[in-house]
Amino acid sequence: MFTPLLLGRTLLHDSSMTSTSTFPSDLRWAPRVTEHDLGDGARVQVADRDRSQPFLLLHGGAGPASVAGFGDLLAARTRSRVFTPTHPGFDGTARPDHLDSIAALAHTYAELLERLDVWDVTVVGNSIGGWVATELALLGCPQVSGIVLIDSVGFTVPGHPVTDVSELEPADLEALVYFEADRFRAGDTRGPASGVIHANARTLAAYCGAAMSDPTLLDRTRDLELPVHLIWGAADGIVAPDYGRAVAATIAHSHFTLLETAGHLPQIESPEELLAAIQQIDL
Amino acid sequence: MTTTTALDTTRPTNATPTTSALTVTRIGHSCHLLEIGGLRLLTDPWFTFTPTYDPGEPVRTTIDALPDLDGVLITHEHYDHCDLDAFAAYRDLDVPVIAPGTVVERAFAAGFTDVRRLEAWDATTIGPVTITATPGEHGVHEVTYVIEGEGRTVFFGGDTLYIPELDRLPERFGHFDLALLPTNGLCVRPMNGRQMVMNAIEAAELVAVLHPDVAIPHHYAFTSGRLGDRMITDTDSEPLRFAEAVARLAPDTVVRVVLPGVPVTIEADDGTPRFRPEIDAEWSAGQRPMIADLRSRAGHEDELRVAVM
Repeated sequence: MFTPLLLGRTLLHDSSMTSTSTFPSDLRWAPRVTEHDLGDGARVQVADRDRSQPFLLLHGGAGPASVAGFGDLLAARTRSRVFTPTHPGFDGTARPDHLDSIAALAHTYAELLERLDVWDVTVVGNSIGGWVATELALLGCPQVSGIVLIDSVGFTVPGHPVTDVSELEPADLEALVYFEADRFRAGDTRGPASGVIHANARTLAAYCGAAMSDPTLLDRTRDLELPVHLIWGAADGIVAPDYGRAVAATIAHSHFTLLETAGHLPQIESPEELLAAIQQIDL
Repeated sequence: MTTTTALDTTRPTNATPTTSALTVTRIGHSCHLLEIGGLRLLTDPWFTFTPTYDPGEPVRTTIDALPDLDGVLITHEHYDHCDLDAFAAYRDLDVPVIAPGTVVERAFAAGFTDVRRLEAWDATTIGPVTITATPGEHGVHEVTYVIEGEGRTVFFGGDTLYIPELDRLPERFGHFDLALLPTNGLCVRPMNGRQMVMNAIEAAELVAVLHPDVAIPHHYAFTSGRLGDRMITDTDSEPLRFAEAVARLAPDTVVRVVLPGVPVTIEADDGTPRFRPEIDAEWSAGQRPMIADLRSRAGHEDELRVAVM
């Protein structure tokens, strides 16, 4: 009889481990074994071996709708599993009090990845989603093998402040967010209405405050061993491309790609170009 | 330096044929369990992973489930060949560890007591087996090894580049029964694509020089993760490219592309495989069903063999 190698997943937290950054290889290769009752006495035991390379796609202040369409495209074209969580507190969901920082949110997603039992995960984040991705990478989560930052905020870069959007009129905000703002006025179903963006503003403030950055973050990324791909819209009026270039210059394994026809939300304005950039890094 | 270690008298004592059986079981990546001259040797131990240092294939034993070893051969200090943080948990820290000078200090630091430094062309003995370090080149200091025992000769290539010095091995060691060679031609993208490991064609060219009876590729499943494979490392993960090249360049050599955990035995002159029954008896109970499972899938490996013969 076939007996699968069953290993306790609690090994992840085994205090006897001598290093926090290496993990037993058999941990990730243990198949997930389930038994299914298919009726009429038929029970089938299945050992599930999954070597796919999933994505965790994290939205920014524009909410989950701002990454939904790109999530479909990413999954279809790369034949990948794409997880798009809604940050607690966005779009009417509950946010517990202890989730009051981007770092806390990153811990939540590390726990989520462990429960999902997915490996070789590429975390893709737009705007504050990029900040969450960076904090998640800094946790040393063994399931995360790389991050893609799309017009990410969160870093404090001298000479390049993050634009404060809290007091802006919708038209002014759109002018900063898009390469071709006229195509994405409120009511255009391809992009989020500016009203939605403002509705999520309080949750946004709870996570990251008005400054939209953590002065310690840039320095902490100097020790990051994971590969980081930074992708920036040339017309981003929230965080300029030079902000992204400065972050890329700090990180050891980084690559910077500029998208000429995008602003702060390339996944909405130039999804095909963004997909190509994620898939084809020219090194 | 020559050191002799007494043979374990509990080993099988059947009459030694002119050339005894030789068995190699790839544990994963370039970590092999080699059974030669009545001894068990482990090469380049690697039992853990990081998100960007991933064997890309199952590692077919835990350190606890390893059989008793008579020696450990390490080619260089890189994590995927010298996982001493994990291997320090091995039950017998007095096992001889054979390594170049760049590894000696960390082997002692990991608690091993019998660490033998070998540089290219130095040799040591463990019982009836002679281990000679041979040249290597990998961007960092590396040696390769020739292992000789009871009429069998094995070349272990670690993850070296193909360098001209390796062409001298046949004149020095004669016939090779087995060559274990890296084939992924790993290049490091941030270093202007600098090549660090021989590729499949180069490995086949080396096979044409060594003329081993059997060649087994390793080090090809390695991955740095989805993004790391695009940003850090550039590797060829297709072992059949090696098999095809050997079929053209050295058609007398049999290539065995083996899944981790599948033992390959070159039988003794009298046709008696000396080691396999012993492995079956001694490997832990948890290990046996897994090997049985792999054997039931041996068709995969046999198909690959047919493809190149």
